[in-house]
Amino acid sequence: MAKEEKPRIRVSRRPIWSGRITIGLVNVPVKLQTMIFDKGVSFRFLHKADNSPLKYEKVCIKEEKPVAWQDIAKGYEVSKGQFVVFDKEELKAALPESDSRIRIDKFVDYLSTDPVYFDRSFLLLPDKSDDAYSLLLTALHGLGKAGVGRITLKTKEYPVLVHPYKGALVLTTLRYAYEVADPSELEDLKKLKEPNKAELDLAVKIVSDLSGEFNIADYQDSFREKIGQLIEKKMKGETIVVEKPVKEEAAKELMVALQETLKQLKQK
Amino acid sequence: MFKKLTKVEFTNLDKILYPELRITKAQVIEYYVRVAPRMLALLFNRPVVLTRFPEGINHEGFYEKDAPLGTPSWVETFKEYAETSQRELRYIVCNDLDTLIWLANLAAIEIHMTLSRTDTFENPDLILFDIDPKPPADYDKVVEVALLLKEKLAALGLVPYAKTSGKNGLHLILPIIDGYTFEQTREFVHQIAKELTKESEIVASEFTQSKKPGVVFIDYRQNSQGRTMICPYSLRAVPEATVSTPLNWDDVKKRFKPAEFTLSTVVKIDDNPWKGLWENRQKLKVN
Repeated sequence: MAKEEKPRIRVSRRPIWSGRITIGLVNVPVKLQTMIFDKGVSFRFLHKADNSPLKYEKVCIKEEKPVAWQDIAKGYEVSKGQFVVFDKEELKAALPESDSRIRIDKFVDYLSTDPVYFDRSFLLLPDKSDDAYSLLLTALHGLGKAGVGRITLKTKEYPVLVHPYKGALVLTTLRYAYEVADPSELEDLKKLKEPNKAELDLAVKIVSDLSGEFNIADYQDSFREKIGQLIEKKMKGETIVVEKPVKEEAAKELMVALQETLKQLKQK
Repeated sequence: MFKKLTKVEFTNLDKILYPELRITKAQVIEYYVRVAPRMLALLFNRPVVLTRFPEGINHEGFYEKDAPLGTPSWVETFKEYAETSQRELRYIVCNDLDTLIWLANLAAIEIHMTLSRTDTFENPDLILFDIDPKPPADYDKVVEVALLLKEKLAALGLVPYAKTSGKNGLHLILPIIDGYTFEQTREFVHQIAKELTKESEIVASEFTQSKKPGVVFIDYRQNSQGRTMICPYSLRAVPEATVSTPLNWDDVKKRFKPAEFTLSTVVKIDDNPWKGLWENRQKLKVN
C-alpha cells in the first residue's frame, strides 16, 4: 500500500469468460479479462485478548450450534420467518445458460449513456480475431458510439455496453432499470422553483471558471494513504505476529512422517 | 518447526479437506509424504495436472494445468504448447519430495500425470487401459474384464500392471520402450478392446456404447499427448478418501473391494506391487 502500484491486467491468466460479440450475422470472438481491482483498505477482525483472527461460522439460531456446509439449504424469505426452501439442484436448474455470446442489439451515442446504470467494467480482448476486433473498435471510436446488448455471466444475465477505452474494447455491465430509483417522483424535487436570471448567470460563471479536463488521477484515497503510512510505522515498531495454532498432534505426526521419508529417500 | 525438513511453508494445516472423515490438510500432506518414495518413482520427469480443493472436497474444486502464480523458483516446470488449451502451458514436474509436499499444501488432492515424459513428450512410455463400468456392472465385472485383458496381452507376450482408479474402475498399465506414437498406442488399445467384445458381451470398445447400463468400457482415449491419468497413489476427491492403488495380480479377483484402499490404509502397505516396472518396458507389435 505504501508503494503505489498500478493494477496490472494479467492477460496471461485464464480469461474469466470467452465467447463472441454478435452483431446480426457478424461475429467477433473475444475473451473477457478483469480490469477493475478494488483497492480499499481491508482489515481482519482479531480477538483483542490474543490477536488471533476471528472466523465466521454459520450458526443455527434454534440449536445455537454451527452448521456444516452440506447441511445448508437456501431459503427465500417470503414474509418474516416464512421461507420457501430451495436445494442446490433446483437452483442449478433455474440458472440461465451461458450461450457464450454478447448480443449487440443496437448502437447508441456513448456520451448519452448514463453512469448511474454502470455496474462493472471488463476488458475485451480479441480471441484470434484481430481484424474484426480492430474494425469494430475503430468504427465505434470514430463514431463515438457504444453497442448495447446482453451477456450471461456465470449465473446472471446483464444488459451491457461495449465501448472503446484507451485502444481497447471494454464491456460494462449495466443495472436493470428496476434496480435504479427514479428521483423524479420525489416530492422534495417537485417543489423546486425556477432560479432567477441574475442567480443563474452567477452560477454559470462559477461553473465556467472551474471547468477543465476530467483527470481521475487528481483524486487519491486519503484514508488508504494514511493507513498505509500507519502500517509502515507499525511494521517498524509494534508488529503483531500471530502464530496460527496448529493442532500439535497433527503437526507432530507430519513431522515424524517427513523425517522417516527423508531417511528412506536418502538410503536409495 | 519444519524449517530443516522441507522448503515448503505450510499453510492452514488444520483445514478440513474431507469433512465426512474429518481429515485435515496436515493428514493429507502426511499421506503424500508417506507414499512419496513409491509415488516419485512413477512421477519422474512427467508433467502433472492438479485438481485442487482449497475449501475441501465438498466445495467445487478446480483443474490446474498451469503452474499457479507464486510457484516457488525451485519447482521444476515444463513449457509446452497444448492443443487442448490452445496455448503454451507451464506444467509442473514433480521430481522431488518438496514439490510433492508443495502440491499437497496447495490442496491438490488429485494429482494426474501424462503418459509420456518431458524429454520425449510426443512419444508415450506408458499405455493405459482404462476399465470403466456402467452400473449395474459392478466390480466383479470389472475384474472379469481386467483378467480377460491380462490374458489377451499375455498371448502377445505382454505383462500389464494393475491399479484401482480410486473410483469405480480399474487401470491396466503397460510400460513400453521409447519410439511409439500416441496414435499407435491408442489404436493398439482400441484394437484389443474391439477383439475382446467378441469374447465377452459386457465389454464395450466404443465411446458411443460406453453409457449403456451394464457395460464395461475399455477407454482408449486417454492415450493422447497432453492427456493424463490419475497418478498411482493419488488420493481421490470422494468422501471415502480412496486412493488409486497399485495392485498385485493375485489381489485382482472376485469380491475384491477397491474402497478398502484409502488414505489411512494405503500407507500401511509395505509391499510395492509395481516394483521393477521401469525395468520391464516392453515392445509392441504395431503397424
